Amino acid sequence: MATNDGVVVQTSPLRKVGRYALLAFILLWCLFPFMWLIDTSLKLGDAALNSPSLSQGPFGLDNYRSVFDQGFGYNLRNSAIVAGTTTIVCITIGSLAAYALARLPLKGKVLILSAILAVALFPSVALVPPLYELWLNLGLLNTYPGLYIPYTAFTLPLTIFILTTFYASIPKDLEEQARVDGATAFQAFYKIVLPLAAPGVFAAAIIVFVYAWNEFLLSSTFAPRDLAAQTVPVAIAAFTGSVEFQRPIGTVTAACVIVTIPMIIGTLILQRRITAGLTAGAVKG
Amino acid sequence: MSATTVAERAPTVGGKKSLSDSALARFFLSPSVLVMALVAAFPIFYAIILSLYVYQGRLREGFGGLENYTEALSSSRFWDAVQATFIFTVSSVSAEFLIGLGFALIMRQVFIGRGITRASILVPWVIPTVIAAQLWYFMFSVTPGFVNYALGLDRFNWLGQPGWAMFSIVFADVWKTAPFVALLLLAGLQTIPDEMYESARVDGATTWQRFWYITMPLLKPAILVALLFRTIDALRVFDLPQVMTGGSFNTESLSILVQRYVVQTPNPGLGSALSTLTFIIVLIIGVLFVRALGRDFVLNVEDE
Amino acid sequence: MRARQRWLFATILAATALVAAGCSGTSPDDEGGGDGGGELSWAIGGSEAAPGGVHREVAEMWNEENPDNPISIERLPDDAGEQRQQQSLELNAQESGFDVLGMDVIWTGEYAVNGWLESLEDVRGEIEEVTIPGAFLSATWEGELWAAPYNSNAGFLYYRTDLVDEAPTTWDEVVQVGMEVAEQENIAPFVGQGAQYEGMVVNFLEYYWGAGGEMFNEDASEVLWDNEIALEAVEFMAEANESGFYASGFNTFLEEESRNEFQSGKAVFMRNWPYVYGLASDKAESEIAGDFDIAPLPTFTGEGTISALGGFNNAVSAFSDNPEAAKEFVVWASTNEEVQMLLGESSLPPTMSSVYENLQDDPVMKLLGEVLPDAKPRPPAPTWNDISVTIQQEIFPAYNGEKDPQEAVEAVGAFLEESIQ
Repeated sequence: MATNDGVVVQTSPLRKVGRYALLAFILLWCLFPFMWLIDTSLKLGDAALNSPSLSQGPFGLDNYRSVFDQGFGYNLRNSAIVAGTTTIVCITIGSLAAYALARLPLKGKVLILSAILAVALFPSVALVPPLYELWLNLGLLNTYPGLYIPYTAFTLPLTIFILTTFYASIPKDLEEQARVDGATAFQAFYKIVLPLAAPGVFAAAIIVFVYAWNEFLLSSTFAPRDLAAQTVPVAIAAFTGSVEFQRPIGTVTAACVIVTIPMIIGTLILQRRITAGLTAGAVKG
Repeated sequence: MSATTVAERAPTVGGKKSLSDSALARFFLSPSVLVMALVAAFPIFYAIILSLYVYQGRLREGFGGLENYTEALSSSRFWDAVQATFIFTVSSVSAEFLIGLGFALIMRQVFIGRGITRASILVPWVIPTVIAAQLWYFMFSVTPGFVNYALGLDRFNWLGQPGWAMFSIVFADVWKTAPFVALLLLAGLQTIPDEMYESARVDGATTWQRFWYITMPLLKPAILVALLFRTIDALRVFDLPQVMTGGSFNTESLSILVQRYVVQTPNPGLGSALSTLTFIIVLIIGVLFVRALGRDFVLNVEDE
Repeated sequence: MRARQRWLFATILAATALVAAGCSGTSPDDEGGGDGGGELSWAIGGSEAAPGGVHREVAEMWNEENPDNPISIERLPDDAGEQRQQQSLELNAQESGFDVLGMDVIWTGEYAVNGWLESLEDVRGEIEEVTIPGAFLSATWEGELWAAPYNSNAGFLYYRTDLVDEAPTTWDEVVQVGMEVAEQENIAPFVGQGAQYEGMVVNFLEYYWGAGGEMFNEDASEVLWDNEIALEAVEFMAEANESGFYASGFNTFLEEESRNEFQSGKAVFMRNWPYVYGLASDKAESEIAGDFDIAPLPTFTGEGTISALGGFNNAVSAFSDNPEAAKEFVVWASTNEEVQMLLGESSLPPTMSSVYENLQDDPVMKLLGEVLPDAKPRPPAPTWNDISVTIQQEIFPAYNGEKDPQEAVEAVGAFLEESIQ
């Protein structure tokens, strides 16, 4: 019987070893710099700057303490709200647009897709001055909408693209069948297409969330200092050392670790959802 | 059946679609278009209009037409930036694609600790770019010299030489985004039904043949999407070269050049012209990709 | 039905999220904006603007004596470029959010020409009589006073006392001694700031001025750039890079990197700002604590010393709602002895010359007192930014062997001529 998405049941020992070696390499690749981050964040004072060796102390939790002393809790809250709202809004309106493009009749789809894509191409640094003035006049500086609205706008193209690809790849017969049975376009979409496209939806959701979480240029312009809306990357960039010119590598890496661990946990959970979504609606004939 | 359906028209069975579906399509598209028009389209037009005026620093001097453009196109700094950007894009996207594909193929298989591996693979991508840039800067910099230490090199100046500076930046970018590519490709891989592999095995196909004749064709849309977005992002790279080398030693990308004229030594006219030129370059490449993608879409969507 | 319930749930979730996210969150400094009545806002960045930093102490001092016009710090990022960016955004939009601006000494001309500052000509006398000449000059543009000097900075030569007996007074000596000792000890002769940024321009100017060069005349109406002297300076740098006098990686170093190298004992000489002294004397952190000392920067002629002047000046925003009080503040911060002493005790070089007499016990302040009278400001021209960038674009590749030094030097001269048109 076929496993979930496994390929072979029997493997030669050599292949197994090979596969696990590759895996070890992958893990090393991804995690080693992160280990370095953790190691550096635990080093006190200038130890991290002075020597490349991982085991050179002294070690302690001072950096983490001083990170939160700088009001980092507020930044975490802000980033979570902004990124979360961006994801919800973007996936919602993006799904609708993608469904329209994938299934419903419309003239000039390629043109529309191109236009949507084009929007995301302009160097954002040049968009900042006019947007800043607009935001200033609309009173959107240092507010959440002032961030999640542009974030949504800039992640919509990729979202729509991914979702369109996924919706388009699902066989039409399933929907046709549902329509014959009396379902509306909406219901067909929600009950049939969406569950099957779940992997794509989750992929898009993760991408949007990470983009919004890590975005720096716009948030440093629209919410540079006010803890009411300042996000994590901007806050980290604003960390200062204890003396002029000093680069606060300890607090920067500590903040980074604080920020990354929940993301990892979140991804671990979401990973299961992706595979669960697949078993729920089998694409098998 | 639920009694709360909103649309009251009778469903069709294929063939001609009713008018409501077309209107529905426009309705579904409108929120997206609205948001994008406000936030993205408006500043773009503003910037393009700005590019038609000539400035001395921040002070507007007058209408210049295409003067800013001719100035930009005739400056060697612009073409150096184009070259640097292209070298970066080609190297990093190809490396990311190959490595990402490898990761995706491995992640797809069943093994112990699969969930952890998948989560780990996302770690590089999840770290904010500015932090990752700083991280790799510390790694490659002569002081404290982590890479040199690990490789046993004595004070090799990675970031201070043409060629190697670009290598360091590409390396950092590949490290960071190969996982993203892997994610996209993995999602695509998961939609390929196992039966196809099974029946191919039964028919005697080798691993390579299964890969080349089943996986690759079915993965094509996902590959194109991944390549498309990675290319577009790579063409606009800013954070990595800015933090790691400041644009020195032939690593000044187009976005960095734009930033120089928008923020560092502001000249709204020239800065906007450079942005527009960058936009056009990226757009052309994007359109080429969408053409390749569009056919797939069209085929997929209108197969009757 | 299940479907309906799920729909409902999703909608509620989305709606709640949107509503909750509609406004912005609360923040600890929600004391109600800085625009009401007599409140002043001081836009300054860096480590000293953080809680516990000396700028905060200064603000508190002011607030005690001036309860009607309390000042609060609007903290900007650490990086000077970022500070300028944020101030520019606000001032360009003619917003009144900032009353007092903490400006890097090189921005005076730019801000003045953009119409962002209130002139301080009427309080010129008060300030001029107590301030170090170089610092005062950096706050003027076209003969007019636009800012009140606040704190200063100058470059030092750091050297290893366990390896070198006496601090050299000429660059050639530094090279000679440095190369010799470095070879013996297997470390680098010299570290400084050589990456392609403002710091490199500072290092270059210290060579150029040290060889007798000038950039502009007194009121910046004439260009005094000397191609020959400039070439001398550039060739010195190129030779230094080539021969290994400059440590490997010099062309990627900013302040911190050079400090790191020196502090880990990997260099004989270093050019850096005073801030390193305290850090490098810390026995717990530094490999060389107690084994180094500071000296004035050498010149090419061996006579006197030249260093680049750094630091910050306070200015009044032209769009402030409260310019009178703001003006009082900047004058006070510049001329009040207590304030300037406070800066000195916190290792921020004061701009008030008399204060240095009281700080003779501190080796850093003592040396600063010696060096500051000869410290030259970079021309605070409005085009300084462009000039600096041009120097970076030309001199950096020139000393790295990627560009012909003669061409580079001529290009800079040509640009300077253009810039005063």
